This record gives sequence, C-alpha cells and structure tokens, in this order.
Amino acid sequence: MTAGAWSARSLLGKALGPRMAVRAKTTATTAVLLVAAACVLIPIYWLVVASSKDTSQLFSTNTFLPSHLSWAANFSSLFSYESGDYKWWLMNSFIYSSVTATLATVVSTMAGYGLAKYEFGGRRAAIGLVMGTLMVPATALVVPLFLLEHYMGLTDTYQGVILPLIVYPFGVYFMSIYAAEAVPDALLESARIDGAGEFRALWKVGRPILAPGMATLFLLSFIATWNNYFLPLVLLGTETRFPLTVGLSAWAATLNEVGAGEPLYSNLILGSLISVLPMLVLFPFLQKYVARGLTFGAISGE
Amino acid sequence: MTGPFFGLFAVFFAGPLIYSVVISLRSPRTGGYAGLLNYRATFSNGYYWSAVVRMGYFGIIQVTVMIGLAIGLALLLDGPYCRGRRIFSLVYFLPYAIPGVIAALMWGFLLEPDLDVLLKVPHLLGITSGSIQPLDYRLSLYAIMLIVTWEWAGYNMTILLTSLTSVPRQVIEAAKVDGASELAIAARIKLPMIRRTLVFIAILSIIGTLQLFNEPVILNEVAEIGNSLTPNQIIYNTAFSFGNEQTAAAQSLVLALITIIATIVFYGIVRRRMNPLAGTRTAK
Repeated sequence: MTAGAWSARSLLGKALGPRMAVRAKTTATTAVLLVAAACVLIPIYWLVVASSKDTSQLFSTNTFLPSHLSWAANFSSLFSYESGDYKWWLMNSFIYSSVTATLATVVSTMAGYGLAKYEFGGRRAAIGLVMGTLMVPATALVVPLFLLEHYMGLTDTYQGVILPLIVYPFGVYFMSIYAAEAVPDALLESARIDGAGEFRALWKVGRPILAPGMATLFLLSFIATWNNYFLPLVLLGTETRFPLTVGLSAWAATLNEVGAGEPLYSNLILGSLISVLPMLVLFPFLQKYVARGLTFGAISGE
Repeated sequence: MTGPFFGLFAVFFAGPLIYSVVISLRSPRTGGYAGLLNYRATFSNGYYWSAVVRMGYFGIIQVTVMIGLAIGLALLLDGPYCRGRRIFSLVYFLPYAIPGVIAALMWGFLLEPDLDVLLKVPHLLGITSGSIQPLDYRLSLYAIMLIVTWEWAGYNMTILLTSLTSVPRQVIEAAKVDGASELAIAARIKLPMIRRTLVFIAILSIIGTLQLFNEPVILNEVAEIGNSLTPNQIIYNTAFSFGNEQTAAAQSLVLALITIIATIVFYGIVRRRMNPLAGTRTAK
C-alpha cells in the first residue's frame, strides 16, 4: 500500500464522514465477496441448466438459459444406457463410502484413543509415524498394492477397494488429540476401578464423549471415499463394480468414439449432477463438522 | 486397541511400500535382480522429468494464486466490513463436496466452445479470430490450473478462516486503539499470527500438485489434451499400458522422494523468513 493510497483513503474518510466510509467499505467488501461466490456457483448453475437439455439442444441452444426441459427423457436415458450401469455405480459409491467410513471411524477411534490413553513409550513415535505417512504420495502405493491384491485375489472386489481405505492415518492423529483433550483420565480411572476392561471403558465412558469427533471422522472418510478415483480405477475391472467416478470417466473416454446420435453428452452431464446432488443438498448441515476436522490438523499445530 | 489399525497399516500401507522398493530393483524383462536399472531408466526419461518440471511451473503459479485468493477472502470474511459471513463461507466451501473427476468433467464441457456461449463472445466482438479454445494443447495446463483453483481455494479459505478466529481479539482491539488501519492489522497482526497454518496449507498444496492425476486424465478423455502431462499419468501408463511395474515402482518412489525434498526445501525457505518475533510486533 503506497502513501498516496493511504492519504486518498483518509481524504475519502474526511469527505464522506466516518459512517459513510464504513458504508462504502461494506459495499465494496460485499461486491468482492459476491463476485467470488458467482465464480463458485456459475459452473454448478451451468450443470443444472445443461442437464435439462438433450444432446442436440446442448449444441444448438444457449446452455446458460433453460429452454427445453428434457429432464424426464434424460433421466430414463441415463439409467438405461449400456444396460443400466449407472444405477450400479450410484449404489456402489454409496456402499464403498458408507462401509469404508464406518470401519475407518471405528478403527481410527480405537487407535487414536489407545494412543492417547494407554500407550506410553510408543505414543510419540507412533504419532510421528502417522504424520510421516501423510508425506508419502498415495499413488506411490497403488502399483504395488495392485500386485499384492492380485496375489491375494482381492483385485476387482469390494473388499479390495474398502480395506486399503480403512487405513486413515489422519483419522488416528485427529482422534488421538481429540481423545486426549475430551476424555478425562479420572473418568477412565473410575471405570477401571469398577472392573471395566479397556474395550468396555472405551464403549461406556469414551464413546459418548467422542461421538462428535467420530461424526466428523465419518464424514471426512465418506467424502474422501466418494471422491476417490485412482484406487478403484486401478483395482477394478468389472463395470458393475465401479463407483461413480470411475464409471463416468469410462463413459467420457468413449466420447470421441460414439456416433452422433448417442446421448452420451446429456448422460454424462445429468450423471455428474446426480452424483454430486446428495452432498450439495446435505452440505449446509454437515459443513460445521467437516470444517472442524479439516482445520484440526492446521490449528493444533499453532 | 491400536491393533486393528496397525495390522491393516502393515498389510495395506507399509507392505506395499516395501514391496514397491523390492520390485523397483527387478528387471522388467526377466524379473530377476537388476540393481538400479529402473532408477537409471527413470533418471534418463525425458518425459518424466519434463512432467516434474511442468508440475513445478504449475505449482508456482497455481498454488500462489489459490493461496492468495484464499487469504484475501478469509481476511475479508474475518474483517469488520463483512455481511453474510456464514452464507459466503458455505458457498466458497461447496466445491469440496464435488469429486475432482466430476469437477473436471463439468469444466471440460464448460470450456468447450460448442457448449459454452461465453467462449464465443470475444469472437463475436471481433477481438479474436475464433472462439477461445481453453482445452487447446497450449492452454490446457492453464485450464487445469483454473479447475484446481476452483476446487481448492475455498477449502484453503475455510482452514485460514478458522485459524483467523483464534487470533486474540484483545490484540486487534489494542492495535485499533493505536490507530492501525484494517489493512495494517491484517498484514502485521493477523497474517503473522496464522503463519503456521499458511505453511501447512502451502505444503498440502505442493504435495497435491506433484500428485496431480484426476483432472488431466478426465480432460484428456473429454478433449484429448495428452496423456503424459503429469508424473502420475506417466507412472500409470508405464504400469498399466506398458505392463512395466518395475520401472513404474521406481518412478513412483522417485516421485515420493521429490515430494519430500520439495516439502523440506519449501519449509527451509519459509522457516528462515518466519521471524519468531514477527507475531508479537504490533502495528506502527
């Protein structure tokens, strides 16, 4: 900021009076925030409008303005194209995400809680190990993982995709700090004096206190699995086992091969919209939990 | 208690990593021990290194622009002139809920002049000789920068905004009493106090850039922009198009090493600049 701009600003303040200056700054701030919001929302708006058009309308009408609402026809085309693979992808994405998120939450909570409350010597080293894994590119693991799963007969199976995704080092790190702060040692001590074992103490005393953290972990793991592409792309071969990301990209790969009469463009556009709709609708309610998890790693380092 | 995690960790994380080292030392042709053959092949692979350099160029531009946008928006939302903070922060965070594959598909169509009237406007006004073709091979790298920025700027903004709310309000009030302007408070108090968060999101972005895969793969399917733009695309092709897992393993381990070195170098540079007293200095 130059001296000239500073004095111009204070001149503005003097000329308009302090209340007018605050108003002008509020208006300018709102204008900038609105432009940024439009940049985020316009592509999503385009997707909604474009999903209402059939392939010929996509190329002949303005895709920012609704004209022919062909949703019903597009919908039945999407769900019947290539023997109705899309409905499998939708269902598979839901299965992969919910099973992975449930198991990852349980496994990470146990590990994080165990590291925070029971392990003494190994705790620091284990947390260091967990943080170190964040540095290893996930893709460096996928080629050997494919070969190992091939030996174990796990490629092209649901378990083959789910099992590696249960390993969620960030979840363990998150839970170890969450449990250390949220679960009072005195409470565990009294549970132990009452004769409760480790698992019983976690279930009776820890679980109710850890529930909000577990909700956050579940959502983060659910979204990460729903959005995952590389791992299922490498591990799966059968179309009816694909999640949405792999299935839609397989359709996109044939865009330049199919005949002009094929409804692939409109299928891809409506298919993309439907694949993000559940999350977009739920997001206002979930945002608080998701944001808390994401900011956790950053803030606890402060 | 920690057993299930570390058991799965051993089988699905540590195991593959060690196995990756083992196969990277084997010959692609015979499967026997081949010393550093695959590493030599990786180091002399021009496509691989130009992809690494391309990601360096990509990161310097894209990460800077994205974090700049995230800082600007977070400071505006945290400042006293913001109305509707809740709704704006929700909207900016929204792309996080959209898979990278779907974002790339959506943008792939949106950047296609036949499907997007806005790209024809410069041509109709006589500025350019034809529609803008963002997915042309010369511009496709910038198209990917645009998509990645759209996807992650709001995510980074969300992290920064939470970090900003932890800045003690008394410090800011004291600076105001001393007559500091909003800009001075932002530059001299808020940003220094969240510098650790800034370093954290920058490191995550650098790691993400070196691992770029989904967006270029999808854009290549929509518009044939090329299948060797990023190191991960090359590794994927080596392993699954050419069936050469041995060299692919070496390539991915070298990429892991490059990622760690890039992170350490970045951290070394910023740590020297991060004066420990910077946070306590008040505005003049």
